[in-house]
Amino acid sequence: MKVRVNDVELDLAPGTSAIDAVFAAGGDVPYFCSQEYMSPIGACRMCLAQVGAPRKERDGSWVMDEATGQPKIFWFPNLMATCTTQVMEGMVIDTLSERVKTAQNGMVEFTLINHPLDCPVCDKGGACELQDRSYEFGDGLSRFQFDKRHNEKHHPLSDLITLDRERCIQCKRCVRYFEEVPGDEVLDFIERTAHTYIGTADPGLPSNFTGNIADICPVGALLDASSRFRGRNWEYDHTRTTSMDDATGAAIIVDARTGRIERIKAALNPDVNKTWIDDGTRFGHEYADSPDRLTTPLIRRQGKLEPATWDEATAFIAERLKGLSGKDVGIAIRSDSTLEEGVAAMALAEELGTGQLDHAPRPAATLIGNQVATITDLATADAILVVGDLTEEAGVLDLRVKDALKGVTPPTLMPHGVPIADLRLKEHMPRQREILTVAAPYRVDLMRHAGATVRYPAGGEAAFFRALGKLAADANALLGEADEAAAGMSTGQARALVARLAAAKRGVIVLGGLALNRRESAEAARALVKAVGAKELAVGPMANSYGLELLGVLPSHERYGYAGMLDGAKALVLSHLDPAQDGEVAERLRGKDLLVVHDIFMTETAHLADVVLPAASVYERDGTVVNLEGRFLPVRAAPVDAGSSTDLTGVARALGEAMGKRLEGRSVRSARRVLKKRFDIDFAELPDHGLLPRAKSRGPVKALAGEVAAGTGNVLVVPSMARAEYLSRNRHLAAAVGGNRLRVNPEDAVKHNLTGGAEVRLKVGGTWRQAVVHVTDGVPRGLMTIPSLPEQPVGLAQADLAGIVVEQVRLEVAS
Amino acid sequence: MSVIDIAKGMGLTLGYMFKRPVTVQYPRDKVQIQPRFRGRHHLLRHPDTGLEKCIGCSLCAAACPAYAIYVEAAENDPANPVSPGERYAKIYEINMLRCIFCGFCEEACPTGAVVLGHEFEIADFRYQDFVYRKEDMLVGTKGSKWQRREAEAKGKDVKLGFEAGPRPELEGVDY
Repeated sequence: MKVRVNDVELDLAPGTSAIDAVFAAGGDVPYFCSQEYMSPIGACRMCLAQVGAPRKERDGSWVMDEATGQPKIFWFPNLMATCTTQVMEGMVIDTLSERVKTAQNGMVEFTLINHPLDCPVCDKGGACELQDRSYEFGDGLSRFQFDKRHNEKHHPLSDLITLDRERCIQCKRCVRYFEEVPGDEVLDFIERTAHTYIGTADPGLPSNFTGNIADICPVGALLDASSRFRGRNWEYDHTRTTSMDDATGAAIIVDARTGRIERIKAALNPDVNKTWIDDGTRFGHEYADSPDRLTTPLIRRQGKLEPATWDEATAFIAERLKGLSGKDVGIAIRSDSTLEEGVAAMALAEELGTGQLDHAPRPAATLIGNQVATITDLATADAILVVGDLTEEAGVLDLRVKDALKGVTPPTLMPHGVPIADLRLKEHMPRQREILTVAAPYRVDLMRHAGATVRYPAGGEAAFFRALGKLAADANALLGEADEAAAGMSTGQARALVARLAAAKRGVIVLGGLALNRRESAEAARALVKAVGAKELAVGPMANSYGLELLGVLPSHERYGYAGMLDGAKALVLSHLDPAQDGEVAERLRGKDLLVVHDIFMTETAHLADVVLPAASVYERDGTVVNLEGRFLPVRAAPVDAGSSTDLTGVARALGEAMGKRLEGRSVRSARRVLKKRFDIDFAELPDHGLLPRAKSRGPVKALAGEVAAGTGNVLVVPSMARAEYLSRNRHLAAAVGGNRLRVNPEDAVKHNLTGGAEVRLKVGGTWRQAVVHVTDGVPRGLMTIPSLPEQPVGLAQADLAGIVVEQVRLEVAS
Repeated sequence: MSVIDIAKGMGLTLGYMFKRPVTVQYPRDKVQIQPRFRGRHHLLRHPDTGLEKCIGCSLCAAACPAYAIYVEAAENDPANPVSPGERYAKIYEINMLRCIFCGFCEEACPTGAVVLGHEFEIADFRYQDFVYRKEDMLVGTKGSKWQRREAEAKGKDVKLGFEAGPRPELEGVDY
């Protein structure tokens, strides 16, 4: 419909807000309360403009202006908040008149009445919407001669978020955020008028997505507690990159200063994470700045690891490799290595002539199904089945599932980007809970939002999918009592779920790590996907699991996989992997002829190594990752000071030089030449939002990863958002989530004499794990859960419960 | 040019022989410095509470055209604050070799914490000695790093080679 904004004629879609009309016309109005992905409510009154529209006679013709012969414009008597005004045919919007300017100026003055003048000490200073808008639209004077409102300056809302109540301008963004995005009503306004403040009913912020409110706060009221006073906004080096903490590939901005990462903020990627990231991604970076990072190579001389130069280290490796047959060398990289690092590892394996090449952790089933859904498919789905704990495995997907529950399709991009006010979004929208079914062996967070939940016995993914598959094949089939128990649902429940999935036009089945780590369950799941005509979204264990499988960083035979090479190979090159945490594996590693470890810390394995090479953390690499939907996303290196550490391409270059060869993956550029041939994409020019080309894999994966035995166990190793191996070094995050949680049923806690909050050590499989006991009825009796390590496959494991060592008893923090 | 012109010139020269010389026998005699002279920086304290005026806002570093200032802030311990409010400068460094003594930092400072004083005798030997830290600039520290080293070695007080009129901005600075 035709709209005129300050003499610019526009043709806009019906339903567009007036504020978007102004921005689409290249104009500008100030605003504080509107946010791209939340309901517009017109709380701040900053986006005022003069709005008018023609009127119709009773017969449907326009009321004409006799002087001009044009339809007469009837101006609204008062200025309108453009964010809540919808455009109409023939609407005229004026943002430049004196009346509008006076109103904007007045609103700035009014907003500043109770806003303290502490910009110099405020962490938002320099990147503050109120500061910028005051300069642009205020006239720099205040006529308010009384004392400003005084309130609490430093209120810790949680371990991660600090609230300054004086600075709050009551835009309601944070309150709306919690209700609309993660769907937890956590914050609200308390008291009225100038006494209004933001508060919670219970202490703490019980959500995995609390950090986003620091990003969307237009002033410095809500701040990231982990980066408090670390630097001013203009002092940071901003690096826009992709999160490597989970498989969704959320867009982030890494802010570094003087060689340290000080904070991580969410960036915009409309197709992936919108502007939201989870707390694990935002606060899980502190380990990269640990003082115990490796900064120089180490070589074992006379039984002791001693510092050396890269030349010495690579010469040492090359010398030792000469005495070995190339086939006896195993190379394993962690699944959050970039594609470029994958090329380097493949080039190294090819040079040595070994088929013992793998990435770990790798699920037993392939991640590249036939009907891979995109994240947008998930957000617009009309039936969703989630198997696993999505909130912990891939937080962004959890939020996108909740988008689907609202039933609002993602907005169409406008000339100025994402629409600022999407009028289809409302506060307290009804959610179509019935479209979501969540299944897991224990209670997961997403179940609170699901229409139906299934709690099947641990390890029962295959039985669960087979039961559904049986009903998908024959709707009248009946499940036996044993089948019902194994699948955790009645025939009726299963039939309803299958009917919903089959009837849906855009059904999506999300497979978590537990479903993928057993071949039979993944096969049953994919049979179900095919039978009901849905799409699947397989959540890989790490950031680039999909990409490394697509690229083919895979062993030539199943027995040469990661687990096999720990046994079979005579020499090992391990990047970011620490298998020696398992005592038995450590024994085997001691017997290796050569053990090269490329890591960022002195891990258990590094202590056994002949050569230790300092590695770049995930924030310090240039490269490309492929997220779970197959989207190629750019990763850029933040300026972090970590000595002579380098990623795997640097290792390939140095080692290649020592061997007298120029390997293909010797630099990011050289690796990208290889990748261009493989995928026909110029990775140096990859857009920020990524590319989704649906690259074909090289046929089905022949050498599947070893799977955990189906047998029984008493501890379920579960995939997790917070990187368990680094959690103790992530001070703020560890304080907030309370360490690696060993979740125990109250009855089991009594049985094993465990109290909530106790710090314990227990042997899960062969690995000693440190954990904090968390007593909850969310886990069934006879089962405990613990977050996985990259080296520890998810699934059931046997733990020595009699041998739990209680190290320290703390008081349970309410959570 | 005539003989008269030469005589005029010589006369002018001769005239100066009977005036007071402007040359100062520095360092034996002290130099008289104008109050607004811009020498090395002082970090001031609130005279009543003794707390540092600096709140670690880094605006001086932002204003500095020579990138000579580095500030790292931290949170005050409410029981034992360094400065009023929540924030103080944990690290405050000025590289005197980079500094061009323009005084922009003083203008940018919202609390009047950093003020350019009168000390100009900051010549030294090593690069690192030109990086002045907080303790080298806080009120009560007299003289440059080198002067203080020498005074300590000799067991005497720091001897400054100048005198200056009072300047109200230099609150609490006593030469």
